[in-house]
Amino acid sequence: MSYTSYSYLLIFLGTVFIFYTVVPKKFKWAVLLTASYVFYALNSGKLTVFLLLATAAVYFAGILLDCIAYTSALAKKGLEREEKKKLKTLINYQKKAVVVLTLGFIFGILLTIKYSGFFAGIFNRASEFAGLNFVLPEFKFLMPLGISYYTLQAAGYVIDIYRGKYRASHNFGKVALFLSFFPQITEGPIGRFDDLADPLYEGHGFSYDNLTKGLQLTAWGLFKKMVIADRVNLFVSEVFGNHGGYSGSILLAAGALYTLQIYAEFSGCMDIVTGSAQLFGVPLAKNFERPFFFFFLSENWRRWHITLGAWLRDYVFYPVSLSPTCIRTGKFARARLGEHFGSFLPTAFALLITWIGIGFWHGAGIKYLIYGLYYYALMMLGMLLEPLIARGFSALSLRREGRLLNALRILRTSALVIGGMMLFRADSVSVWLEMLKRLFVSFDAGGFAGTVLKCGMDRQDFFIVLLGASAMFIVSLLQEKGIKIRESVAKQRLAVRWAAYAGLIMAIVVFGAYGTGYDAVDFIYGQF
Amino acid sequence: MIKQDIEILDEISPGTDWKNQDDLLEKHILDSLKIVQLVGALNDEFDISITPVDLVPENFKNAEAVSALVERLSDE
Repeated sequence: MSYTSYSYLLIFLGTVFIFYTVVPKKFKWAVLLTASYVFYALNSGKLTVFLLLATAAVYFAGILLDCIAYTSALAKKGLEREEKKKLKTLINYQKKAVVVLTLGFIFGILLTIKYSGFFAGIFNRASEFAGLNFVLPEFKFLMPLGISYYTLQAAGYVIDIYRGKYRASHNFGKVALFLSFFPQITEGPIGRFDDLADPLYEGHGFSYDNLTKGLQLTAWGLFKKMVIADRVNLFVSEVFGNHGGYSGSILLAAGALYTLQIYAEFSGCMDIVTGSAQLFGVPLAKNFERPFFFFFLSENWRRWHITLGAWLRDYVFYPVSLSPTCIRTGKFARARLGEHFGSFLPTAFALLITWIGIGFWHGAGIKYLIYGLYYYALMMLGMLLEPLIARGFSALSLRREGRLLNALRILRTSALVIGGMMLFRADSVSVWLEMLKRLFVSFDAGGFAGTVLKCGMDRQDFFIVLLGASAMFIVSLLQEKGIKIRESVAKQRLAVRWAAYAGLIMAIVVFGAYGTGYDAVDFIYGQF
Repeated sequence: MIKQDIEILDEISPGTDWKNQDDLLEKHILDSLKIVQLVGALNDEFDISITPVDLVPENFKNAEAVSALVERLSDE
């Protein structure tokens, strides 16, 4: 059941909203939990068992961690300092064991289902290359819906209890709802228990404000997805599917349009799910913050898929950076290689692990690994060259600010993002390299005008995309300036407000890419 | 202690008016890379052990918060 389907928007969401509104406050969370499991079972059938297993694992692990902490607090009373130290070491060991086993279990399921075939394939090719007669079966499992998202949420829950950020919940329903909440199970955002559990569980009465704002945001997300992303997909699918027959200029246009598609689609989906959750008074975490037209790649990434970046920062980058090995390596390197390079080395190592994580999180394949390493290499290059660039500017007495320089930076960052997105969309790394090569050896700018309207999108399609994208960028620009669009609309007179709503719905109905001649396009991020 | 902290902060991000900044994270004056650098420097300078558990926004939102964290960990 896609978030853009009538069955979700009109039947499912409508029914859940009515039930949620009419049942007494103390049962409202049960409506959300039932709806979430119905939604999940409708999409994943028997594979729902994996979600239940992950939920049960972190629920019991959380309680066990709480019990260990409680008993240790009791046992500490009356002990001498040395004995307390010994007890603390023992308790830490026990808590670590619980966390490692739980993470091993939930990530073990994810690794087996999502990655075992890929790694078995690598092993088999290495085995063949080495002349060994040993072959592992390359299984291809059906993926439970949202396994990459709920596994991270579940892991975050256990790690936070281990770190003492909050106490474990003794309510299985609360943990189950946190991990299965239907608006966020397919594509995130990846939530934190301390942010989400209470709003999900406490139950909210009818709120006209939540209803209208939730519906507005949902409609805006549908606009982005159906008017922009799905229409652009016509061009993108044609060119990426038959890349060998197109010149570099058309490939570049396809890369730029795919970047637009994936942004409109993913941020559109986030609007739909955030709007859906708002109907029930549940605020979901922000996943995008207008990630375009920036000077540096790092800023672009900071604003793109924010909750995944924050998860990897808190649970991978920080622990690796502050691990004793990294700290020792840093000290050793600073003493021998100087302050800049010495501080750079451990950070570079922690970032390498993080970017490999980002790459593989998107999919099991060499392409995704290279995708992560592409951004990693570019950012490392930027960090390494920074002192040289600063010295260059200083030697030439040039200012590091200025409109021309900033325009060039935006151009550079946009080109690098499009390059990365082309890899993400290409069938393989070799296809990507072939496409990049054509950008330089057969750009054929002269032939662009004659070909561009023959690649799946006609003049009218381009016009609609241009209008839609302009509307999206203007709204983003206003938001960047601190203007709250929905609040501003709400302050208008009734006639103006309803004209705005009707206009948005009409735009989706009239300009949305659906019906005959259009294939319903699955959400790209729903496939992880 | 806050004077020493500010000296360290100055090394991480020179030219910032640390005493009058109350939202170092929201303004992205401190990002994750700078936080790791800062933690390394604080651990060395004050012989403390800042762990991932301590890396929460409340401890890095301004110079006073960083000082309070250092003081708390020095006392432990």
